[in-house]
Amino acid sequence: MAKDGLIKTGIKGLDSILLGGIPGTNVILVQGVSGSGKTLMGVEFIYRGVVLYNEPGLIVVFETNPDKIIRDAAGFGWNLDELQRQKKLQIIFTSPEVFDQELRSPDSLLLETAKEMGAQRIFVDGIGLLKNNLVDSHSVHRTYRELLQQLIESLNRENLTAMFSLELCNPHGSIAAAAESIDSIADTVIQLARERHGRRVQRSLEILKSRGQDYEGGAHTMYVTGGRGLEIFRRVQAPLPAKSKQPTSSIMRSVIGVEAIDSLIGGGIFDGSTTMVVGVSGVGKTVLATQILREGSLKQKTRGLLISLDEHPAQIIRNAQTIGLNLEEQVADGTIQILFESPQELDIDSHYARIVQLIEEQDIQRMVIDGMTSYSTAIGEIGVYRDFFHAMVAYSKQRLMTTFFNYENPEFLGISSYMPDFPLSSIVDNLILLSLVEINNSLHRCISVVKSRGSKHSLDTREFVIGQGGISLLPLEQNPVPALPLQGYSSLLSRAPTRFSLPTRIDNGATAEGKK
Amino acid sequence: MTSAGEQLQPRANVIIEDEKPRELSLQECLDGVGISQLSEWDVLIFVCRHGASLMSADKIARLIGYPSVIVSDVLDRLEREKLIECSRPSRGVRFFRILTSMDSRHWLYLRQLVSLSESRAGRLQLAERLKAPLSDSGRKEQAS
Repeated sequence: MAKDGLIKTGIKGLDSILLGGIPGTNVILVQGVSGSGKTLMGVEFIYRGVVLYNEPGLIVVFETNPDKIIRDAAGFGWNLDELQRQKKLQIIFTSPEVFDQELRSPDSLLLETAKEMGAQRIFVDGIGLLKNNLVDSHSVHRTYRELLQQLIESLNRENLTAMFSLELCNPHGSIAAAAESIDSIADTVIQLARERHGRRVQRSLEILKSRGQDYEGGAHTMYVTGGRGLEIFRRVQAPLPAKSKQPTSSIMRSVIGVEAIDSLIGGGIFDGSTTMVVGVSGVGKTVLATQILREGSLKQKTRGLLISLDEHPAQIIRNAQTIGLNLEEQVADGTIQILFESPQELDIDSHYARIVQLIEEQDIQRMVIDGMTSYSTAIGEIGVYRDFFHAMVAYSKQRLMTTFFNYENPEFLGISSYMPDFPLSSIVDNLILLSLVEINNSLHRCISVVKSRGSKHSLDTREFVIGQGGISLLPLEQNPVPALPLQGYSSLLSRAPTRFSLPTRIDNGATAEGKK
Repeated sequence: MTSAGEQLQPRANVIIEDEKPRELSLQECLDGVGISQLSEWDVLIFVCRHGASLMSADKIARLIGYPSVIVSDVLDRLEREKLIECSRPSRGVRFFRILTSMDSRHWLYLRQLVSLSESRAGRLQLAERLKAPLSDSGRKEQAS
């Protein structure tokens, strides 16, 4: 047991959800339907106790062959045989009747074994089987609740932290009448679920209660990973533990390194701010992202992360290379990381955890998510999508990380809404609009800074080109459009750019509006 | 227990020894561990596969489908032969375990037999070689 009086389960991600562990004397119940991972959780609880915290343990099974437990554990790299040889673990195969009798017997072999080993943890697999054992050895009839209370009392007396598993018959978690008793007697109740989402099966873990402590509520994603064991991923939408003060930066930096563009944004953007770059497919969002990360890496010595659900790293590097943006070197030396994950069957909790882990391990200061539309499609549920985005923004601000979200707007010419599938533009600090406009018979790229909190940005829409070195603004006085400079048009963003009419001189020297 | 599917590694045999066994005949192994009855083999393999069994002989008998009296006799015999160890009794139950201090020759025979019994063909071979347990009348006759 740790100094804070908490028992660490040692199961990856679980102690974090339990805000450190489980209070020492709590009786833990793990319940769920068949195949949800109850036995695995119990075995891992004991295994981690031995190997991480030097707390010997007992595993008591009534139906499962211990040989199979040892075999299956080997698949996760846990050598239970060896721990048994070292007398740090004992797997005991017995019957519910004997187990009940042993816990109440003064000369109990089971408790004698526990004492000899110095056992501190016990896992009992299938506590529901005890409900058929309501008449004790003195022919006294007990209720199931009384039986459980006796059992818990015995384990507490021996200072054993107990974890029980209970099989639920109903996939939706409703508990059979006999099982209700243990649910209320146990101090910590962990519910495991295995549910189908479309054709995919997903495991989840929810802490229903845990006396004497706070914990992160809701359903968290659970993985059974070969070679490792259980991995719990905190649900994305769970709020971060409260911090006393939200860090805020007053340092404004060039983000793109192209002076003209930075001046359009008001000279740069604040460190730790969030920016949404909205634009149709092919307008240059990924190029802008590449420039932002290169600028950070080369000139400001900030480490960057590009996250994509659409393009794998080799393709991103190749595409950047064609316009003279060399990413290979930065990727090789680790100053720019590229995280690609397929949008197919994307599990957002584990994906979010991987992003956070990468950011923290690599000390990332600039991040680009390219792009949000793929998340919207991959996640499917609008609420989860919104939660992911909110969590990403909150986390980014907490770390004072400068973050860009690329959003592909489906409207080709002009836009009627920044984010038509779910309006989230209000929570970002800066909003950059990349648009295509049709002039004569060709498409031109334009950039507008729609919002930039705390800075004096330009409201001009400026034309840009993508060439060697990435994006560059066309100077106002050297506009290559043959007909009229960009300022010669109105309604550029309203799907119908319209030329201003030129004033025509009439005989008396006055001017009059010409035909449009 | 929930497995990790294809990534599961097969567990090393229950009885692990560094030395690689030479091929031994089935009869040699059976003679080596002193087993001649099918009931002895069934009880031995039950104890072997269950690590530490905390139960009565009667419960083991019910689990493997033998009369209680036969299993009690067999457990005593296996303990005498130094193949298993039994704890002191506590309210009719004991811990039954494979004797960890078994000599290496016994380990070798036992490992070979356990390995053989993992296939159906091996189990049939064993069943052919071993005598079926005696019925109650047979036991009485033998006793007289």
